[in-house]
Amino acid sequence: MNQISLIEPIVIQLTGLKKSFGQLRAVDGIDITINSGEVVALLGPNGAGKSTTIDLALGLTHPTAGRARLFGGDPHDAIKDGRVGAMLQGGALLPGMTVSQAVALVASVHKHPLSVAEALDRARCTEIAKQRVSKLSGGQMQRARFAVAVVSNPSLLILDEPTAAMDVEARRVFWQSMQEFTNQGRTVVFATHYLDEADTYADRIIMLNAGKIVADGTPSEVKAVVSGRRIRASFNFERTVDIADDLQRLPGVTSVEHRGEKFTIVSDDSDAALRMLLNRYPDIHDIEVTAHNMDDAFLTLTAASRDANQSAQAAALTGVGK
Amino acid sequence: MSITYIGLESARQLRNARGLIFTFAIPLVMLLIFGSAYGAGGAMDKTTGLPWVVVTTIQMAGYGGMMAALGQAFNIVTERSLGWNRQLRVTPLSGTGYLVSKVVAALAVSIASIVLLILVSVVVLGAKLSFLGWSMATLGLWAGVIPFALIAVLIGQFAKPSYAQPLFMVVFLGMAILGGLWIPLQIMPDWVSTVAQVVPSYWLNRMGQMGASLSGNILEPILILLSWTVVLAGFVIWRYRRDAARN
Repeated sequence: MNQISLIEPIVIQLTGLKKSFGQLRAVDGIDITINSGEVVALLGPNGAGKSTTIDLALGLTHPTAGRARLFGGDPHDAIKDGRVGAMLQGGALLPGMTVSQAVALVASVHKHPLSVAEALDRARCTEIAKQRVSKLSGGQMQRARFAVAVVSNPSLLILDEPTAAMDVEARRVFWQSMQEFTNQGRTVVFATHYLDEADTYADRIIMLNAGKIVADGTPSEVKAVVSGRRIRASFNFERTVDIADDLQRLPGVTSVEHRGEKFTIVSDDSDAALRMLLNRYPDIHDIEVTAHNMDDAFLTLTAASRDANQSAQAAALTGVGK
Repeated sequence: MSITYIGLESARQLRNARGLIFTFAIPLVMLLIFGSAYGAGGAMDKTTGLPWVVVTTIQMAGYGGMMAALGQAFNIVTERSLGWNRQLRVTPLSGTGYLVSKVVAALAVSIASIVLLILVSVVVLGAKLSFLGWSMATLGLWAGVIPFALIAVLIGQFAKPSYAQPLFMVVFLGMAILGGLWIPLQIMPDWVSTVAQVVPSYWLNRMGQMGASLSGNILEPILILLSWTVVLAGFVIWRYRRDAARN
């Protein structure tokens, strides 16, 4: 059994995971399998259940239902073996210590830690090593916590909103050091509500909303959920039913919206649609063509899951009514 | 359990000079005041057969050691509210290892406080006792501090930051006054001494006195403090298991 779990390619396995706090269903039926070497972003708005999912995966909180396994076994065993490093929400270092003392203190409980100097170096903390934790800026604090998370030389790294409180430059430096770490084949799961971070640094995005998974795939797959480009333009002619129908029939059009003197067309074939549009209505002006970005995908998907929830609830209510 | 971790934790607390000044200063000031007041003219205490200045020194060293141990409660409450414990939970450090590190750190700070107070008494107040007497008194007080380290852990486990301070005050004032660490019980009515025996601080003081005079039935305070230790450790473990299960 042990031998099998040692070569287990599955690093994280969450099955039917649920967690309720009183009435609130923070995690509402999550199934996730993450393989060795994957870099996965858990993306979702505040309150989507990202942090609770992470706590459940690490065995820091007991699920109401379902099961969490790390490296094919109990999460506590994986933690005891030093295979997991984590930067958690609400986890902090002691203010009176220097960064290197904090790293050394955590290193001392691990069986095969990196040297303190190496952990500091990997987290870009060498120049703040002698600084007291209480004197660190928000970004430096996150780097120090990253150093603490990597000092055990873990095969799985879990980062809960690691770049919160960082400015743009600090975020860039942080992800650079994280990438060096993942290039060595380690598994990384990070929670974020920065869409661009998930898009740039993850090779898989799991999108959460209201405790449920609303999308799971590569960044391009997730973006493709809302395909096409958006054409926006102003017009001076009177809007008639005929014109509306005509716009709807342009190549690849999936939606048409009017607002005052402006319309927005979403099309899977925006080039052809725009050519035809200019041919028929040469006086339209202020034309913009934009690609869908992660924000659009995000809004569409979370709105869709909200609608699904509402109709499910409505159905449940009708059921009760009968 | 990691010996290195326990060592680093104790060293960290001993280095925290700012926090320790208050722990050490109050018993030190009290020693200098009461030591000169009670000990003037080399007066002897009939109950223990020790010079008054030694009796006062042992009271204050016991008080200092107890304060140092109880101070762990604040460390635990603060660290819990900061999120340090949450960070530790994703390391191989077990709950037992954490609690042991706190008890050991409490004992490390305690022995520093006890030795400091005795040294000051010898150097400044000129308290005289054989080296063996001082050593045994130190050892007795140090061992007697163990239940207080466990009380501190228990407060640390139970108390929220908002009421840790008043709870700590009640416990330490009760222990210091009832147990006769501030005012010698010898000068009080007999019934006070009888009541005092319910608190472990009375026996802490007795451990020191018996060590210093190298006489008396040392087994009595040892057994009573051991019972306190067992009961408190039971509570600490029960509370720890309940916390772990609730998560």
